[in-house]
Amino acid sequence: MGELEQAVMQALWALDDEQWATVRQVHESLADRGLAYTTVMTVMDRLARKEFVEQQRDGRAYRYRPRVTRAGLTAELMRETLSDMGADERGSALVSFVEDASPDDIAALRRALGDLA
Amino acid sequence: MLTPLLLGALALALASPVPRVLARWTWLRHTPVAAMLLWQSTALAAVLAALGAGLSLVTHRLWEGRVDAPDVALAVLAGGVTVVVAGRLLLSGHRTGTTLRRLRRRHRDQVDLLARVDREILHRGISVLDHEVPVAYCVPGMSGSRIVVSRSTLTALDPAELAAVVAHERSHLRARHDLVLEAFTVLHRAFPRWVSSAAAHHEVQVLVEVLADKAAVRRADRRALASALLTLAGSRTPGGALGATGATLAARVAVLRDTRPHRVQALVVTLAAAALLALPTSLVVLPWLSGLR
Repeated sequence: MGELEQAVMQALWALDDEQWATVRQVHESLADRGLAYTTVMTVMDRLARKEFVEQQRDGRAYRYRPRVTRAGLTAELMRETLSDMGADERGSALVSFVEDASPDDIAALRRALGDLA
Repeated sequence: MLTPLLLGALALALASPVPRVLARWTWLRHTPVAAMLLWQSTALAAVLAALGAGLSLVTHRLWEGRVDAPDVALAVLAGGVTVVVAGRLLLSGHRTGTTLRRLRRRHRDQVDLLARVDREILHRGISVLDHEVPVAYCVPGMSGSRIVVSRSTLTALDPAELAAVVAHERSHLRARHDLVLEAFTVLHRAFPRWVSSAAAHHEVQVLVEVLADKAAVRRADRRALASALLTLAGSRTPGGALGATGATLAARVAVLRDTRPHRVQALVVTLAAAALLALPTSLVVLPWLSGLR
């Protein structure tokens, strides 16, 4: 499911800025994947519920566009990740390989690495 | 009257001086499995003793002999305090759990939209984000966890280093370290500051990293793990490093350098962890409960 959501999102991001797309347009741009129209509709609806895309009623159909650009969403994600790592100990959502370190820590690590050789 | 006093004293000791001393004993980190058991049994014993102290005071006042007005008042007070302690724990557990699950689900959804999932043998199933800041972390979760690295991590690390990082993260996920951390976060948020839960929480965080490091060097090269730590920590150090609160890196390096087995220490610490739960239960709690009939 995640892969499908990514494909639909890519299709929406590939549109020009500020442009709204219908399910039909996205379905057509993903034609080489051979997806059912209703599948694409379900995925876009889910992306709207997760607030990754905006949804607007247009007559009998809905039109969609990404809430932020791909670069914007990546920046959002990284900001969240880095603030989680730099945060004080309280209740991190993520488990990082290495959290922020002081220059002293890094110097000690460099010395230790020399000893391990 | 002895039972509530003993349990109360035990709860107080386990709430503050004991965690402070344990946190200072950094040699415990060299036997991380046993040390983790000791921290968990300390926390569990503290909570049980606190609840037991209140409940036993209630039963002592109301079960034995004539019940006067002061007895009832004291019993109500003790019962009230017990309910507050239990309530704070439950509330904190609920809040922490729902917040973490929401954050992680959101984060995972975002990763799934953005990341390329690598199908190469070396790092199968790893989500790769297209970003120039090197990061490596995992998003734990019951309904699907993710190991995430950025593109620059892949270029900064050589294959052995990357293997060590992935082994470290897989160990976090396999051993469900997030649940241990969550439990200590719950305790930390439930109780006032004089309870040394911050020390406990921090030390458990260190132990979780040490455990994952140990698991990683069982599969990968010790040196590769250390140099991966150096590469990733060194490339992300913030300006004045004011945000650096953890100091877990120094602790991890110290344990990483130590290759000696510590079998006796592991045994002693494990026995201490067991005793911490078993002794109060058998010497204080069981006589009290059997005396209720």
